[in-house]
Amino acid sequence: MRKLTVFATIVATVLATSLPQLAQAQDMGRALGGILNSLTRPAQPQAPAVPSLGSILGPATGGRAGGSDLLQMLTQSLDQIDEPREIEIGRQLAAVLLGSKPLHPDLALQRYVNQLGRWISLQSARPQLPWTFGVLDDPGVNAFAAPGGYIFVTKGLVDRVDEAELAGILAHEITHVIDRHHLQALRAKARAGIATQVFSSQLNNNLGGAVSAQLLALGRDLYSSGLDQDDEFDADRNGVTLAARAGFDPYGLPSVLQQLRTAAPDNPLFSLSLRTHPAPQLRLDQLELAMGNRLDAFSGKPAVLLSQRLAGRRR
Amino acid sequence: MKEQTMIRATLRTAVSALLLLGLMQAAFPVRAQQGEPAAMKRAAALRESPGESSRSLAQLPAQEPVTRLGDRQGAWIQVQTRGGSAGWVHMFDVGPTGLGAGAGTRVPSSGGNSLAGGLRGLTNLLAGGGSTPPPRVATATIGIRGLEAEDLDRAQPNLNAVSKMEQLRQGESGARQFAAEAALVAANVSALPAPARGPSPQGGGANQQQP
Repeated sequence: MRKLTVFATIVATVLATSLPQLAQAQDMGRALGGILNSLTRPAQPQAPAVPSLGSILGPATGGRAGGSDLLQMLTQSLDQIDEPREIEIGRQLAAVLLGSKPLHPDLALQRYVNQLGRWISLQSARPQLPWTFGVLDDPGVNAFAAPGGYIFVTKGLVDRVDEAELAGILAHEITHVIDRHHLQALRAKARAGIATQVFSSQLNNNLGGAVSAQLLALGRDLYSSGLDQDDEFDADRNGVTLAARAGFDPYGLPSVLQQLRTAAPDNPLFSLSLRTHPAPQLRLDQLELAMGNRLDAFSGKPAVLLSQRLAGRRR
Repeated sequence: MKEQTMIRATLRTAVSALLLLGLMQAAFPVRAQQGEPAAMKRAAALRESPGESSRSLAQLPAQEPVTRLGDRQGAWIQVQTRGGSAGWVHMFDVGPTGLGAGAGTRVPSSGGNSLAGGLRGLTNLLAGGGSTPPPRVATATIGIRGLEAEDLDRAQPNLNAVSKMEQLRQGESGARQFAAEAALVAANVSALPAPARGPSPQGGGANQQQP
């Protein structure tokens, strides 16, 4: 069964990559051929160089470069990473996150978070990205994003918030994607040689050839160390605006930050989110400076509980 | 015999209290911060109901300790004073306990679109922030653990799960229909200005440690 899938993947990928390179044809500098020629094959020692599964399944991704090409582009210039490549990188990083925690089995909840998130994303500067939202089956309180529009929240977070608060969190993550914060962080890490360092110490045979070992190493490092502090402040501020634009109470995100502030730093449910972000009070102070009372006119809507929204969806 | 009845009655009370607690938790997940000790970041009025125009019940001085009661409406949270009276204050006027000197300074914001008295601004930016990074490996104080760096270290990419997730994507029309049913209306909101960033206590990184 597994063999079959792998075979199908290879066939489909070969097909996908050999299709006329429509997008690239207009842009000689980005021609796929050139990228393939510069492949750093040693990065994928175990498997035949199968470009990622995403090239077949992702609707917005054409036949594109595999992980190591993406990595090489990352170390050069972010300008080279067009939207399909950005989505491909995000897809592979999403696979890393989903490798650490599965999706929560509640499909009604998954659908709801997708509707909510998609609605918010429609008010953003990149409404046409293939925005994809998921609830991770994890009791911790955290949220993640990956390039191209992959957004995750943990079940532990979802259980603790109302709709405006969830909207604030999703808007914060959407803003990271809009501003390509993860790509910038990946670039810094790739340039610092993190991928190659970790790679040599963590050779693993279980990659299936789909996600390059280097991107895997970068992804693990990215999600356990977090983004630049200023990027977090920017995403807080712009996330508040985005949530308000989508019709939500702008104080949802500050309210969640207050919950984080209350959490003891050694509470394991909060440990990763507290470790990878600036201190919640610092973020609240920054938000207070930016918000003042500017958005109070959009505030004061009655809170909507997730259980209210989900009632009737579950049968 | 009498003793047994009493025990049973006590048990029954305890069980119903627990049940009630459980129900309350289920019904009000937002009330997670109930009972949190906090302090006024600056002097502000304790209001009878959410909003600057609501009747003032008392004047709370800066650094006055208050306890969060758990209710929130927009920017307004319900608190209880030391004297026992309950009322509403603006979220940004309340901070963690133990804020040092400097609290109480109100810098007028240039927002200008709201009611009188809503002046919130820079207060003691440096004192409130957590400074020491939490430990990388958490001490297990409760039975369950959240996703941690170690989980990520062990993670093997799962592209099948990504495909599954992608099947749950919502299109634009689905999202618009959801918004219509939820009475969510898009609003014109100007971008918020980025505050000037002064040097922070740790030279720009309160929590920038690398593993």
